[in-house]
Amino acid sequence: MTLSAIGLSAMRSGRIILHPTSVEIEPGARIGLVGASGSGKSTLGHALIDALKAQGLQVAHVPQSPDEALDPLRSLAFHWHEAAQARGLADGAAHQRAIFSALKIDGGDLRKRPWGWSRGMQQRFVIAMALMGTPDLIVLDEPTSALDPVIAAATMNLLDRHLERTNTAMVLITHDLGLAARRVSHLMVMAAGRLVEEAETGKILNNPQTSEAKRLAAHRNWMEVPC
Amino acid sequence: MMLTVVGFLVRAMVVLTGTALLTFALLWNAPGDPAQAIAIARFNAVPTQDVIDQVRAEAGLNASFWAAFLNWIGPLLLFDFGNSSVTGRPVGPDLWVAATYSFPLAITALAIGLAISLPLAILATRRPGGFMDRFAVAIASLGTAIPAFWLGLLLILLFAVQLAWLPAMGARTPTHAVLPALTLGLGIAASLTRIIRSGILEAWEQPFLAAFRHRGVSDRAIGRDHIGPHAAVPVVTVFGLELAFLLEGVVVVEVIFGRPGLGSFLTSAILARDFPHVQAVVLLTALVFVVVNLIIDVVYRVLDPRIGEPDA
Ligand SMILES: Nc1ncnc2c1ncn2[C@@H]1O[C@H](COP(=O)(O)OP(=O)(O)OP(=O)(O)O)[C@@H](O)[C@H]1O
Ligand SMILES: [Mg+2]
Repeated sequence: MTLSAIGLSAMRSGRIILHPTSVEIEPGARIGLVGASGSGKSTLGHALIDALKAQGLQVAHVPQSPDEALDPLRSLAFHWHEAAQARGLADGAAHQRAIFSALKIDGGDLRKRPWGWSRGMQQRFVIAMALMGTPDLIVLDEPTSALDPVIAAATMNLLDRHLERTNTAMVLITHDLGLAARRVSHLMVMAAGRLVEEAETGKILNNPQTSEAKRLAAHRNWMEVPC
Repeated sequence: MMLTVVGFLVRAMVVLTGTALLTFALLWNAPGDPAQAIAIARFNAVPTQDVIDQVRAEAGLNASFWAAFLNWIGPLLLFDFGNSSVTGRPVGPDLWVAATYSFPLAITALAIGLAISLPLAILATRRPGGFMDRFAVAIASLGTAIPAFWLGLLLILLFAVQLAWLPAMGARTPTHAVLPALTLGLGIAASLTRIIRSGILEAWEQPFLAAFRHRGVSDRAIGRDHIGPHAAVPVVTVFGLELAFLLEGVVVVEVIFGRPGLGSFLTSAILARDFPHVQAVVLLTALVFVVVNLIIDVVYRVLDPRIGEPDA
């Protein structure tokens, strides 16, 4: 079933920060949401999640900052247990160990609170939580921005395998076109709270139409990192 | 850890010595002749100058300030509070009897305060700005504005005089404690409601809550496991102030309701210039403060270990 959300918009302090936007996502699709900083990518991500949730769909979310995902007063073990329970899953120790070692956070002490881990580790812990169960869509907001290139690549590989196996759709928010080029089949380009261009990844990279897409494509080469 | 313990003991010593010295100085320098006041209290009659002079010598009031102070604080280091200047009896046992009236009253009042304020604050913050919220804020403002002595008199008028349900004066039976505890408890409920309410509202501002809802955690669980602890941090912080309010209230309420206890013990001691009695109550109060603040500190660190961590 195609995921679709119509007329998404958002206002903050009396200013429209997301103009009415509609999004359609095929099952299992990999979509990149790119644009300059402040163009409204995170805002669209939030609006999309709220709309799909309202339709009764399951959406996993990896927010841009771990502070938006973890309670600083609760241990990481508590977070994990709570998330598993909320999805009606058994704690699944084996599954957990496999994911943690793939994300290279199996050395972390789960009894600690989030701030006892580095931000990069916190980020991967949040990703691990998002991989619980089988949501219809997973929205990742700059999932690798706090990670070094090697760990970023490992993380993206794990995500790829997981999405493949569960046929989950993904929206990957990033301003790193190099990352997007390798990981998504479609790109949506945002500028000033509007979706300005939407096409296959190759088309946008080689033949950008709007000035925003051109600007991003021009910067692509020297932003490329091995992941 | 060792350092924390030593630091705490040093702080406690400074607070206790400072309090003792300050009260002693205040009493010593208060206008009027302390020997005369003691003599009047002791003999319940206007004493002659001979008697006054004799009392002065007995109570050690002929000495200089520092000599008198050291004379009192010396035995105290061995937990000897000395003897009352008025009755001549040891202070310790009488103080203990007074405390057995006051502490249960204070704890009951605190329990009443919590039992009212916690549900009220939770109910109010369900819909901030809604009817329940405005009702709770109004009640709480009213409650904090009404002084304990007035509320006490109102309750006496209503329940003891008009309805004749409850006794007003004395402490013969447990029912005698109902009105005093209610007077104190309602005042505490008022200020606690405000504190808990704003703690909960602040906790709802935390940036991670939307993520928990997305994860499918129920509102109930979010309230219990995340809002609760975050709201408790500011509440625990101001609990020390609540205690000051409580101790002050105990004195007022005991006087209004003619109850024996630390409040009555203290007021009669001040009127009679019974130095050892006053000092004992003040020191006990200071000790309670120090201990409660230590407990608050520990609870605070358990709730939010980021506090006191050098690199959090
Ligand atoms: N609470 C707010 N009040 C006012 N303006 C806001 C608020 N939150 C976001 N905005 C504005 O909305 C716009 C879009 O913000 P958003 O976080 O969606 O950008 P973004 O594309 O995710 O940026 P980045 O790449 O830096 O994460 C920005 O211009 C920002 O200033
Ligand atoms: Mg963003």
